[in-house]
Amino acid sequence: MALDQFLTALDSMLGEARACLETVDSAEALEQLRVKYTGAKSGALKSVQKMLAGIEGKDKPAAGKRFNEVRDGIEEALAQAAQRLGVSGVQESIGPSFDPTLPGLRPNLGTIHPITQSLEHLKEIMGRLGFNVTEGPEIEDPWHNFVALNIPEDHPARDPLDNFYLATAKASAPILAGRTTQSAQPARLLRSQTSTVQIRVMETQPLPLRIISLGRVYRPDAPDATHFPMFHQMEGLWVDRNVTMAQLKSVLRLFATSYLGGDVNIRFRPSFFPFTEPSVEVDYWWNGQWIEFGGAGMVDPNVFQAVGIDPEVWSGFAFGLGVERLCMRRFGITDIRDLYRSDVRFLRQFAT
Amino acid sequence: MLISWEWLADYVKLDASIEQVVERWALSGLNHESTQWVEGVPVIDLEVTSNRADCLGHIGIAREAAVLYSLPLKLPSVDLPVSKQPVSKQPVSKQPVSKQTVREVLEVENLFPEACPRYTVRVLRGVKIGPSPEWFAKRLRTIGIRPINNVVDATNYVMMECGQPLHAFDLDRVASRRIIVRPAADKENFQAIDHRNYVLDPQMVVIADTKNALALGGVMGGLDSEVTESTVDLLIEAASFEPMSIRRTARKLKLHSASSHRFERRIDPDGLDFASLRCCQWILQFAGGELLDGLIDTHPEPRLPSRVELRRSRVSRVLGIEVPWAQSQDILRRLGCTVESQEESLVALAPSFRQDLTREIDLIEEIARVHGYEAIPEDAMVPMVASARRPKDTMMFTVRSIACASGFSETLNPSLIGKTPIDRISPWTNQDPLGTFVPLLEGASNLRRSLIPSLIAARLHNQSQSNRDVRLFETANVYLSQGDALPKEQYNFGCIAESEPRVVRGVFEEMIDRVWGHEGPVLEERLVDFDFLDKGSSIAWFLQGSMVAWVGSLSRALVQANKIDGPVAVGELDLDLLLASARSVPKLRALSPYPAILRDLNFVVDESVRWGQIRATIEQSAGELCKEVVFREIYRDTKRDGEGKKRVLLTLKIQSDSETLKGEQADTVVTSVVSACAAQQGAKLLAS
Repeated sequence: MALDQFLTALDSMLGEARACLETVDSAEALEQLRVKYTGAKSGALKSVQKMLAGIEGKDKPAAGKRFNEVRDGIEEALAQAAQRLGVSGVQESIGPSFDPTLPGLRPNLGTIHPITQSLEHLKEIMGRLGFNVTEGPEIEDPWHNFVALNIPEDHPARDPLDNFYLATAKASAPILAGRTTQSAQPARLLRSQTSTVQIRVMETQPLPLRIISLGRVYRPDAPDATHFPMFHQMEGLWVDRNVTMAQLKSVLRLFATSYLGGDVNIRFRPSFFPFTEPSVEVDYWWNGQWIEFGGAGMVDPNVFQAVGIDPEVWSGFAFGLGVERLCMRRFGITDIRDLYRSDVRFLRQFAT
Repeated sequence: MLISWEWLADYVKLDASIEQVVERWALSGLNHESTQWVEGVPVIDLEVTSNRADCLGHIGIAREAAVLYSLPLKLPSVDLPVSKQPVSKQPVSKQPVSKQTVREVLEVENLFPEACPRYTVRVLRGVKIGPSPEWFAKRLRTIGIRPINNVVDATNYVMMECGQPLHAFDLDRVASRRIIVRPAADKENFQAIDHRNYVLDPQMVVIADTKNALALGGVMGGLDSEVTESTVDLLIEAASFEPMSIRRTARKLKLHSASSHRFERRIDPDGLDFASLRCCQWILQFAGGELLDGLIDTHPEPRLPSRVELRRSRVSRVLGIEVPWAQSQDILRRLGCTVESQEESLVALAPSFRQDLTREIDLIEEIARVHGYEAIPEDAMVPMVASARRPKDTMMFTVRSIACASGFSETLNPSLIGKTPIDRISPWTNQDPLGTFVPLLEGASNLRRSLIPSLIAARLHNQSQSNRDVRLFETANVYLSQGDALPKEQYNFGCIAESEPRVVRGVFEEMIDRVWGHEGPVLEERLVDFDFLDKGSSIAWFLQGSMVAWVGSLSRALVQANKIDGPVAVGELDLDLLLASARSVPKLRALSPYPAILRDLNFVVDESVRWGQIRATIEQSAGELCKEVVFREIYRDTKRDGEGKKRVLLTLKIQSDSETLKGEQADTVVTSVVSACAAQQGAKLLAS
């Protein structure tokens, strides 16, 4: 088809449509006109569009451009007529329609356990304070779990019934008798504290050092809402030439302020741990009350001596806290056993 | 430790309120548990740390208060005209002290000084057993001790006053008038005053006569020698027992008493005689009778107090604050130390009731806690230091992110499991699991060799709660026995999904790709045959002979036996091996500036031909222009291809780094791939 012929057809269609639409006087008539010109199946525009295929290649751009102008003109005239007659919008052609009120297609994402979230949170804060993360084994020997930590043979913490000693055929009898050092095979136990890592780090790494160690620890305890025989601890250690209790207090205050997101005060109460002296319980003041944070103190000279560090030259502090308690307080968890039940209705609540 | 506020006033006159004093105690080492009113008297429960045996009596607590408020401490005086020496001098003849000496009526033999380093005895004769005076009985009642009679009450009263446990025996019940401190015989029977029978062992110390055990030393008296209404003559024991021995006995017999509690914490070794005389004084006052002169003491040698040096400079070095030197000395003196001071150092002789003060740091702690920790600032300098995230933490962020993005939620499970068939799943080792003597939870005394047993238990728990489509993962150690060597702790990622194993495989592929990048080592893929997995469903990846990961479907037998709903895909990945080859930072690999040509191939192969075989054939035959072999899908059209055949649709990405390829070059690649697949895998190419 020749271009000018096509353009003429277009122009006459636009003229005719405008004339009709200016005078249309009912919604029904308007709908008939809409179908006549813009109907999806056999409207006039559709017919003309099919003719567009017959236009020669070089004329196609001009033809297409004019076609679009005419289509826009007709649609504009339809809209004006609809507005004049008070007809709200022009109905779309029939077919399945999108319902934007349907719920979205959400990705199926997993969640991170609240204890892991707490561990990562602690690592992040302590990392900013210059404490590097270190690790040690969960299965320990009495040297790292007790002896080097200044916990002597007769200390109640070493009682076989207060620890998870490993059962080996040869070691069983002597361990039950409470004498672990003379057994044929070296005694092993699940660590009862992450302080063991302190010892391993001080034995091997150059000073000064600032570290934290986090992980699972094990102590026999009947499970209830606040006790579980396996839990997590964070232990911090700073050894340098002039570390003082004032720095201990300051680091813990920086930690608490970062963790709680507001300026908090720290309180020390004297306490007793074999591996630190002086030893203190640490509280922080939050929401109008003192809340127990954990234990801390200056590294006991006996501990330094056990790992070959001269306590006359070096000093240091250590602190430890239970991760479960911080985690439960933060997330409003009231039963520690829920943390280890793997119920997805529980786990999914801590999505972040 | 229960403290009667009214009783405490015997030793120190406090003006401060209970609340104020309790606060000071808490901030100097005596934690406040509670305050209750009993019979109109405030009773305060204080937590005493295990190093402070001196605070297990009212006098010790009063001393703390006196030190904190700089008040005088009024100790009770014992005014009995007896010789305090064990050597029997001529007795002082003044009633109620008898002319007879204790040695004339009794002999003591200590055969077990390892458990009982010191044993002392006094004897009272002609007492009249009856109730204690009301004020005395009330003091005991308020702190939870049931009054018995004027003798037993006196021993309990003195224990709660100065912390020294005492025991009164009926002298008539001591056969042959001979006390023998000895190890218990093996399986010796002993009936205690709680009317229960205990079976003893030779590590326990008993106080016996020539026939029977009269008391379980340091723990509890025996029923037979108990003071009764008919008792006339008394034997008052004041002894010290070794803490470890007492702890072991109390623990083994599950028999914990106020006495064992104190001996376990090492009581004042020099306080024995004061307590003994104090007790006799009350008995003479309430029950009459007369006290025999002298005492029997198995270890009368005086103990030398330890001399502890304190350097002035060390106080501020440890605490970070200056405590005035005069104040430091004053604190130590008020605590009972004898102080010889100089300008820059001092020597302190600790009192016998403070056996915990043996080192310089012990003195510094005393100065700090009495001076008050509130004086230590909380804004000291904390110098900055270089610090970076560990590669492991970076890897774990990636691993967890991929798991979560794939719909897996993290769980944490106990490290110890039981002995069920599920618990025996062990893909990493053939060694038996390590066990503990004490189970972690009921029936759980084996250390995990795999995370899968816990994950299956977790799946079953969720199934019981009607939680559907559960995908779970855990990252934790598994514990692999290595014979006599230290067990290996291997950090694993394990997961379980209600799906086919390809889901788990995809997660592992993504983790390995992201953590290692294109520089990582090449893994060897092998079909494996674990008995807990469906035959033919399982596959594993190895690096230099070590398994890095495995994936499969839980066997039908285990699924049915445990009534698990739906498919069970499981897999484990060794994160230690993953970390060993982790890249620190992704490095750019230059993009080819020339376009790639994609060719789809549709092969018909026998059902038994695996994708891995086809991929390997293509990788060997395609040449280096073929950059990628992409699996599309497998489908079956038995009408056209016949039974036992399947169609494998794949795409080859053909690209050069140095030129724009022509169609013919791509055709060459395709031709060699098609002929290799035909020859090696019997694959027929379908026309596209």
